[in-house]
Amino acid sequence: MSEQLFIQMCITGIVMGLIYILIALGITLIFGVMRIVNFVHGEMTMLSAFSMYYLFEVWHMNFILALLLSVIAISLMGIFFQRYIYKPLGYDILNVMIIAAGASIALKSAGWIIFGPVPRDIATVFPGMIRVLGTPLSMERAAVALICVGLTIALYIFLLKTKTGKSMRAVEQDSEAAAVLGVSIDRVHAIVFVIGCSLAAVAGALVGMLFAVEPEMGGEPLLKSFMIILIGGMGSIPGAIVAGLLLGLIDSFTETLLGGEMAFIIGFALLMLILIIRPKGFFGYEI
Amino acid sequence: MKKFTVGLMGLSLFFLVSLGISQAAPKELVLGCNFILSGPAASLGLGMQRAVDHATELINPKGFMVGGEQYILKPAYFDSKYVPAESVSNVEKMLAQGIKFVYSTGSGVSVPIVEKTNAAKVFQMSYASGSNHLTSDKYPLSFRAVPCNETAFSMYPWLVKDYSQIKRVAHINPSDEAGFTESETRLACARNVGYQNVANEFYKRGATDYYPVATKVAATKPDFIDFGGTIGRDQALCVKALRELGYKGMAGIGYSDPVAFVQIAGPEAAEGVILFNTITEPTNPKQRELYDWYLKKYGPPFLTVVYDAWDPVFMLVEAVKKANSVDPVKVAEALRTVRWPSVFGEMYVGLKALYGIDSTFSRPVPMGIIKNGKPVHLTTAPWPSDELVNKLIAK
Repeated sequence: MSEQLFIQMCITGIVMGLIYILIALGITLIFGVMRIVNFVHGEMTMLSAFSMYYLFEVWHMNFILALLLSVIAISLMGIFFQRYIYKPLGYDILNVMIIAAGASIALKSAGWIIFGPVPRDIATVFPGMIRVLGTPLSMERAAVALICVGLTIALYIFLLKTKTGKSMRAVEQDSEAAAVLGVSIDRVHAIVFVIGCSLAAVAGALVGMLFAVEPEMGGEPLLKSFMIILIGGMGSIPGAIVAGLLLGLIDSFTETLLGGEMAFIIGFALLMLILIIRPKGFFGYEI
Repeated sequence: MKKFTVGLMGLSLFFLVSLGISQAAPKELVLGCNFILSGPAASLGLGMQRAVDHATELINPKGFMVGGEQYILKPAYFDSKYVPAESVSNVEKMLAQGIKFVYSTGSGVSVPIVEKTNAAKVFQMSYASGSNHLTSDKYPLSFRAVPCNETAFSMYPWLVKDYSQIKRVAHINPSDEAGFTESETRLACARNVGYQNVANEFYKRGATDYYPVATKVAATKPDFIDFGGTIGRDQALCVKALRELGYKGMAGIGYSDPVAFVQIAGPEAAEGVILFNTITEPTNPKQRELYDWYLKKYGPPFLTVVYDAWDPVFMLVEAVKKANSVDPVKVAEALRTVRWPSVFGEMYVGLKALYGIDSTFSRPVPMGIIKNGKPVHLTTAPWPSDELVNKLIAK
């Protein structure tokens, strides 16, 4: 294996890992605080990508404004799900999982009906190429990687330093004790959903720009995100980061050297191995 | 009074009989369409559905006579979702409903049903590669309605003639039935025209990132990359990844909507890509008529699969008329003698040299290229002779 090929595989793995982390963070945040699995997350990335396509590509809106509107729209959708679907179910993990999985299929099917089968493209706002350690990398991949790193750090600081972040962590650790201390659980749940769905919306816009916009686009990243969450530990942000980078690199090396099917086989084998040795994942909680 | 009653009865009888005759409904020949109507390859099925619907609109006003009875064509659609189990289930439903003629899309879902349809003496025509897993003397009722991997027999001799700079060829295919059969045929063709095959890679259809496969293929330094059985967005994302990694050589794609390909890959990445077996723009009145009808009814973009899916319906009806029977065995025999003026040129059922039985719809193969960001027609390569096919497929 040449040095150039090795560097290329590392860069590809890190970039994909960061995208997976961005999607996984939203899911793991919601699970950590509310103990529910939001299967609609993948479809939220898809709807955000379509929203970006229409606002930015078709109606020529400013990219940042289009992204902002997409984030708001997907956040409102998230609040709708949280308030009117998951809350009436008492946030029961099994009921929510079944309803969310059903809603995910319904949204995907609606996507086929509304948007049709022809894949769309969001033109890049980061044209050109750069070289990293002598290896070519498109500017859009580099920019997407930096945005993912920035958002991950911002989320971490928000959770550690701000009052709202501390409230969220308090609810995560013991919601009853947090309520006794005056934390509004309903408000925290709404904020968690807004943040989680916003991350899905940003991920959708970035994935749509890097790849293609189509109703099925949320499926594979969501599957990888769940693998990341299980490996890293349900509800753990550091776990999601470590597992995301690990899975991204494994994907890149196995897909390049052994083929696409092997990446899934090795990824799932690793997942099974970790769950057998350490059922909570790297940094997880008891479910 | 008695005369009046008899007259009234006679008149009633006359009206009853004449009404009965005038309202005698034509019989229906049901075409069970096992199409991909949802999932990542849905554009293929949707385009086929629209083509079949329009063909039916044109065929049915006059209908067709079989054994002195008037028939019309009635398509019945089943969504295979490109899932083999769904496809098998669809065929079981069709058999239960007494459907005797099946039109199927996609190798991965057409090959798994061929044993069932032939055992039940049901006619099957498929837009699928699948090589001799789909068409052989073992399956006399199975036809390949659109040449797939077989277009390589036209493409490679043309490449040798027109692009002398090509020496090293890489192949990229999805890791499924279509990809494996495409790869097998194309590797043989490339080798037998004198090229060196430097890579033969498979990827998971519908994958998110194509940098890994592109990295591996670009490292082998090919002059030409044959995308074989790769379809839709996968082609565009892979070409985009290859260009970003610095690949400057040629690439060839088929099964493509060229306009969507350029949009997703980007005009710079798409520039110079060869479009094999693709009508890029209408080049004859039949193509123009179909193209204009589609845009008027559905608006842009035009789904190029409409061209492929169109003529097999007429070929089938011609075969039914020629057989003067709706017995699938007789229709299959008659189909092997039909010559049809298709949108591509003369179409007939051939390739006995390859499959041991005439079973693949054969016709000229259009070639195009992406030039200045737009798909442009280059030439129409002739369908190969049996001798040439034998030479190209030799081990």
